Amino acid sequence: MNNKKSKNDLALGICSFRIWGTLGWHDIKQRYRRSILGPFWFTLSTAIMAVVLGVLYSNILNQEIADYLPFLAAGLVVWQFMSTSVLEGCNIFIASSSLIKQIDLPLTVYACRAVWRNFIILLHSLPIVILSLLIFGEMPNEEIFLLPFGLILLALNAVWLTVALGILCARYRDVLPIVSNFIQIAFFFTPVMWSPDILKGRSWIATYNPLYHLIEIVRAPILGKTILIESWYWSISLVFIGFVFSQYLMGRYRNRIAYWL
Amino acid sequence: MKTLISAENLTIQFPIFENSHRSLKKAIFNVSTGGKIGQSAGYPFVTALDDLNFKFEEGSRIGLFGHNGSGKTTLLRVLSGVYAPVKGRLNINGRIASLLDVSMGLDPDATGFENIYLRGILDGLRPARIRSKIDEIAEFTDLGEYLNLPVRTYSSGMMLRLAFAISTSVEADILIMDEWLSVGDQSFSAKASLRLEELIGKSSILIVASHDQSLIERICNRQIVLEQGRIISDQSIPKGSVKSV
Repeated sequence: MNNKKSKNDLALGICSFRIWGTLGWHDIKQRYRRSILGPFWFTLSTAIMAVVLGVLYSNILNQEIADYLPFLAAGLVVWQFMSTSVLEGCNIFIASSSLIKQIDLPLTVYACRAVWRNFIILLHSLPIVILSLLIFGEMPNEEIFLLPFGLILLALNAVWLTVALGILCARYRDVLPIVSNFIQIAFFFTPVMWSPDILKGRSWIATYNPLYHLIEIVRAPILGKTILIESWYWSISLVFIGFVFSQYLMGRYRNRIAYWL
Repeated sequence: MKTLISAENLTIQFPIFENSHRSLKKAIFNVSTGGKIGQSAGYPFVTALDDLNFKFEEGSRIGLFGHNGSGKTTLLRVLSGVYAPVKGRLNINGRIASLLDVSMGLDPDATGFENIYLRGILDGLRPARIRSKIDEIAEFTDLGEYLNLPVRTYSSGMMLRLAFAISTSVEADILIMDEWLSVGDQSFSAKASLRLEELIGKSSILIVASHDQSLIERICNRQIVLEQGRIISDQSIPKGSVKSV
C-alpha cells in the first residue's frame, strides 16, 4: 500500500486539481487581500520594470526600442516565472511541513499549488508584453496560437522541477543556496536582456542553454516569430526526462520526506 | 471491506541530521523520557516506535496511554498516513479522519466561511458537498455574522469553536484523536461533547491518546500503554469498570 502511494504520488497529485487549484488561487487572494490593485500589482511592476530597463538597455546595447522593449518584457516575465518556481520549489516541502505532518495528501499537490500560483502571476503579467507590442504599432500574428502550448510546456517543466528540488532540498539544506547562486548567474548567461543575435561566433551559449529554449517557446509566439524546432525538442524532452527523474525520486523517497521535515 | 487496522513489527525511526550529532554519539540508551537513541549510517536516529504488533477491528475503542515522548502522537500520525513505517507493515482498511490538530490549515486572514471551504477542499470534498455542510457548521458554531470576518478578529475561544466544528464535520470509519477535545464556555462545551460523542458513535474504530485514565476508562474498551515506543500492556477494559463522569 505504501509503495503504491509513493509510485502514484505524481499522477495523483497532478490529478487533484481541485485541491491545488483552490489553494493556489487562495494564496493569490490572500497576498492581495487588502490592496486595491490586487494581483494587478504584478502587471504594474512588470510594466515599470520593462519600461525602465527597456529604455536604458536599448540605449546601452544600441537596439531599436520598438524591437527591444517587447523582447525584454517577454523575457523578463518568463524569467520571473522560472526563477520563482525554482526558488519556491526548493522550499516547497519545508514550507508546507505543517500540513504534510497533519494530512495525508499526495506531496505533488504542494508543488502544483506553487506552480499554479506563479502561473496566475505570469498570466497577469503577459498583457504588458502584448501592450508593449501594440504601443509600437505591431500586432501579434498567427504565431500567437502556439502560445498556449508554450505556456503548458513551461508549466509542466516547472512542476517536475519543483518536485525534484523540493525533495533534494528537504534532505540536503545546502541545495537552496547552491541553486539560488546558480539562478543568479544563469540570468546573465541566458538571452533575457540581450538578444542571441549579438552572440555571433558564441551562439552555443544560447543553443545549449535549456533555459533559453524554455523562454523562447513563450517569447517567440508573442513576438510573432516562429519557434525554432530545437526549442520544441529541448522543452519537450526536458518534460520527459524531468518527469522520469522526479518519478524516480518520488518512488524512492516519497515516504522519507515527512521524516526529513 | 471490513474496517481494520493491523500492524506487524511496525517501527518508526526519526533521523537526526543536526551537525551536533557527534556529541550525541555517546548518547545514553534508556533515557526515561523519549524513545531510544541509536545510530546507523553515520547519523543518529530516535526510535519512536519499536516493533509494534496490534490489530484493531470494528468496534474497537482504543485508548493510548503513556508518558510524554512514549510515542502516542507518533503512532497517531503513522495511523493517519503521515509517516510510513521504516520497518514492518501497516495495513489500514477504511476512511480515516484525524483530529490531531483541530486548527490545521486554518488561515487567520481568511474569513470563517472561506476556512470552512478550504478545509473541505483539503479533505477532498466536492464543492457542492462543502456548500451543503457550511450551513450545518455555521449553525453549530453560533458565530453568526462573524463568519464573514477574518478569523484573526476572533477571540481564541471563537476560533476554537470554528476549528472544532470544521474538524468534527467529517465522516470516517476510523477516528484518530489526540486528547479529548473540549472547547468553549460551559454551554458550548456540553454541545461540543455531544457532537464528539455522536461522531465517535458513527465511527467503527476510535483511537484516542490521553493522559486521562478516567477518560480512557469511560469511552474505550481497550487500553494500550506505550513506553519508549513499545507496547508494555495491551488489555481490554471490562465493561464493569465504566464510570459515569
